Amino acid sequence: MQFKALLIDAYRQLSAAKLFWVTVGISVLVVVCYGSVGFNEQGISVLFGVWEIESEQLHSGSPWARGLYIGIFSSFLVKIWLAWIATILALISTCSIFPEFVHSGSIELTISKPIGRLKLFFSKYLVSLLFVVLQVAIFCLGIFICVGLRVGEWNPFIFTAIPIVATFFSYLFAVCVLVGILTRSGITALLITGVFWMALWSIQTSEGTLNRFVTEQHVSIERFNEGIDNAEKDLAEITEKSVDDFRIPKFEKRIETFNADIEESQELLGKLEQWHTPISWVLAISPKNAQTIGLLDRWLSDPDGFDIGAIMSGDMSSIEGEEVEEFDRTTRGARERETTRRLRDDYESRSLWYVIGTSLIFECVILGIASFYFCRKDF
Amino acid sequence: MIQLQDVEKMYRGKVHALRGVSLEVMDGEIFGLLGPNGAGKSTLVKIIMTVIHATRVSGTLLEKPIGNRKILEDIGYLPEHHRFPYYLTGKQVLHHYAALANVSRKDRITRASSFLSRLGLNGWENKKVGSYSKGMLQRLGIAQALMNDPKLLVLDEPTDGVDPVGRREIRDLLAELRDEGRAVFLNSHLLSELEMVCDRVAIMVKGKVTMQGTIESLTQDSRRYEIETEESVPTWAKEVVDDVSEHLMVIRSDDPAIIQPILDRLRRDQITILSVKPVRENLEDLFMRAVDHTDTPGAVQ
Repeated sequence: MQFKALLIDAYRQLSAAKLFWVTVGISVLVVVCYGSVGFNEQGISVLFGVWEIESEQLHSGSPWARGLYIGIFSSFLVKIWLAWIATILALISTCSIFPEFVHSGSIELTISKPIGRLKLFFSKYLVSLLFVVLQVAIFCLGIFICVGLRVGEWNPFIFTAIPIVATFFSYLFAVCVLVGILTRSGITALLITGVFWMALWSIQTSEGTLNRFVTEQHVSIERFNEGIDNAEKDLAEITEKSVDDFRIPKFEKRIETFNADIEESQELLGKLEQWHTPISWVLAISPKNAQTIGLLDRWLSDPDGFDIGAIMSGDMSSIEGEEVEEFDRTTRGARERETTRRLRDDYESRSLWYVIGTSLIFECVILGIASFYFCRKDF
Repeated sequence: MIQLQDVEKMYRGKVHALRGVSLEVMDGEIFGLLGPNGAGKSTLVKIIMTVIHATRVSGTLLEKPIGNRKILEDIGYLPEHHRFPYYLTGKQVLHHYAALANVSRKDRITRASSFLSRLGLNGWENKKVGSYSKGMLQRLGIAQALMNDPKLLVLDEPTDGVDPVGRREIRDLLAELRDEGRAVFLNSHLLSELEMVCDRVAIMVKGKVTMQGTIESLTQDSRRYEIETEESVPTWAKEVVDDVSEHLMVIRSDDPAIIQPILDRLRRDQITILSVKPVRENLEDLFMRAVDHTDTPGAVQ
């Protein structure tokens, strides 16, 4: 009964806020825009057929059409609209919930009721996530209907965006709650949460960039060693036939260059590791909001291999369909392709426990501090 | 109903808000707690309602140890300067807080309409509380405190901002609640209000209860008769009365038999008696006497 009372109160509080309805309105607009894109036998139709683009690959029934349509949702709408714009609006709307809750004159009325402070705190926290849950649920329902009507796929996995975005938002909201309870100021809570979010983004971007460089150096060293092995093998074969072969100095030079490159890569790797290792530890204990949102991409990935997100980030393997045969595996292009592949494998092999589990541990610690303060506080 | 012994509250090791408060509130009585600003009245009320943690407390509330949350189901509370969520209507406020107090939906519906009517808020139940006046918010606050059909009602400044008619209605309501066998614990600055309605009072000064009892018993020592004469008070009067001035004699007693021989003697001496008044301290006098010796208001640092 008490949880239900808090839930109803949270809904009334949200529905009384204009921003809630503004966000719902924008969400509906985004869904309508999304739904205005469709496929026919000739190609793509935009704005409910106002504009038509002919395409051999993208037409009704083609796997690429499905990949593009779902990909727009998981790679753009979720990552840009839900994970950024709607989250900012949600933070603005909810940042004052806890400061108002603990405001003098208000909190006395609630904590003098027969409900434990810990239960009250966590109930209030959970019902405060209602804003995001409702917003994303409305959004996903619209997307679900659009995907069903446009590409004929009634994909229930679209609704996994609800827990994913709510979990992602909860990492930030936990910080907002802690600051809100400590300072009793919604604006301060919002600003500090914003700073925290930017810090997380910086950590994740730094780790991602450094990881790319580190992986690149590992690939380079491996490929150069492989190049040396091949060159030595070729050299041995040539030398066996004739010690005066004109290609011998060329191979020797090649081996020498590989050795120099390996030395350079190892030196660079050492320097990069100095930064990458501590940052990856910091990331390990931080909430992984980008990776949490990225889970949706993983779960909605196209079985036919079309991945618009990967394409946009330069990974063309889904279009190329099969591994590109490498004539020379030591070239920059070959190494970059291998680096991208390994990074994608590494990212996709990160377990749910690593992505969500460690983030939730961080959230639990923050909420533990906030709830301890709330339970001990004299109001 | 409430038995408190030796309640101590020290804020962050600096401010000694309560210094061994002991008091008792019995069934079916209206108990008033008064004291100057910073005396620790609200702190004491908040400790009773588990809003503040006491540094040391012993005693019982509805026969359960202080701090037991279950008993809060049987206590109604109106905090001072309360703030209801602006987005709720009067009726929603009553339902929300009653639901938190585990009141069934059926009882909530019945009681909400009954208390809104009893407290003169008919016609306002579906309006947002943001549009309520201060007095209306106080009435709504009292209705909120009554929604769980409490055995004990704790009201912190219940008539704050309420007009004289509203105050009278609240006083009548409190008297009705007392007659129903409920205890009412009142914390107020309005001494005249308390005097009219309280059965017993306690006066707190600097975190301590300095006086406690019925108004009758606390003012017992101050009862006296004052005899005013037209002529100067005769010289013999100094030997038979407690206090004299030019035209006034003061006899410290509430027994009318004691003053009869003095009146007879005055008449024999042909002294004109202008008035004979039985005098008793009111609550304000009592309060002023209790706080008179304190140098500065506020808690002990």
